[in-house]
Amino acid sequence: MWTRTVNGRVLHFYLAGINNQNFLMRDRETGTWWQQITGKAIYGPLQGASLELVLSDELTFGEWKSEVSDGKVLAPVQKYTKEYDSDWEPKVAKLPVVISFPGTGLKSRDVVVGLEIDGASRAYPWDALVKQSPVVDHLHGVPLLLAVGPDGKSFRVFISRIDGKDAEFFLKGENESDTKAAAPTTPKAWTLLDSTTASEWNFQGCAISGPSQSKCLDRVPALKDYWFDWRNYHPDTTIYKR
Amino acid sequence: MRPRHGFLWFLFVASALVAVGFFFVPAFIIRPFHHQTPAALAMAMALRQRAPWPTLAAALVCFVFMLIMWRAASPWRKIFLAFVMVLVGFSAVMSRLNYFEWMFHPLDAPQFESASASKLDKGEMILAIRYGSDARAYPIREMAYHHVLNDVVAGVPVSVTY
Repeated sequence: MWTRTVNGRVLHFYLAGINNQNFLMRDRETGTWWQQITGKAIYGPLQGASLELVLSDELTFGEWKSEVSDGKVLAPVQKYTKEYDSDWEPKVAKLPVVISFPGTGLKSRDVVVGLEIDGASRAYPWDALVKQSPVVDHLHGVPLLLAVGPDGKSFRVFISRIDGKDAEFFLKGENESDTKAAAPTTPKAWTLLDSTTASEWNFQGCAISGPSQSKCLDRVPALKDYWFDWRNYHPDTTIYKR
Repeated sequence: MRPRHGFLWFLFVASALVAVGFFFVPAFIIRPFHHQTPAALAMAMALRQRAPWPTLAAALVCFVFMLIMWRAASPWRKIFLAFVMVLVGFSAVMSRLNYFEWMFHPLDAPQFESASASKLDKGEMILAIRYGSDARAYPIREMAYHHVLNDVVAGVPVSVTY
């Protein structure tokens, strides 16, 4: 997601083509061509300009609704409802790719969460994130916390630093009991604990109890993408391995 | 007379190649499920960017020459002239139309409903953005079709892409 004001001018984008399966858009005002994944103007009058990234989330509707009090949802357009394919994900996963980067252990259409800090980039295989969440990692010296939400589908990335101090996070209750007698975990029970202040944190990255209460972690923009697409635009990316 | 006619045919074919090239070369390069090299993509964008005027000019030139040559042309040449003219006209029109939006229709006037009124399933994935108290959700199922959406959130013009 991007802001669309460039040099004080508001641009209106439209779909204009495809470049190795990442789409190209143009703006109505200048006709410049932009690459969707990078937000960079690659040809035309504004070539070289960059759109500013907007911090956005990829969440389930249920998670989002539980977080916002009066949110607005893009309404489906009646005449296109047939085109809103509920099965698009498995279908797209089967489509051929036109570029590939073998030798990494990842398949072209494996889903990764990609992020970039000061030019350093890393891809986190989605399956590993789901299994290991919360993941604590370092990129370019920055401590990171990657969390898959209570629904197992939403995700967020934070800087795992509380008041300037690096912190580690654990899922509360994770190691308390392995017996079957343990109460089934309901989504509401999803809470993180930090190792520094022993406070409890919710999926929005805010402390809900303990010494850090009402503090929130800084967010890191991250993109859920296919491995081939992420790697194509981040040639120096590393891959997270536990 | 002969050499002059030969020159007219040459101009006709050359103009036709310009018109057809300006449309079909970028259309061929920027086609889905095919690899685009950086050099080919740059050429495709350059041609597509400039295509509207050269294709129109070439179409007019072709049309004038076709009128001049039509009477004296043999039946086979008439078929050739007509066929090329259709191709040239098609190129001039297509250079002005965005056929990508025929496949994925744009959403020019997005409508919103409140979270409580939405019939979305709670497991449905959405893209979410929030500026102050303005929180918006864009169902990925819809965005995976429209691909681009120009919106204004809390006064900030944004482009939602997927």
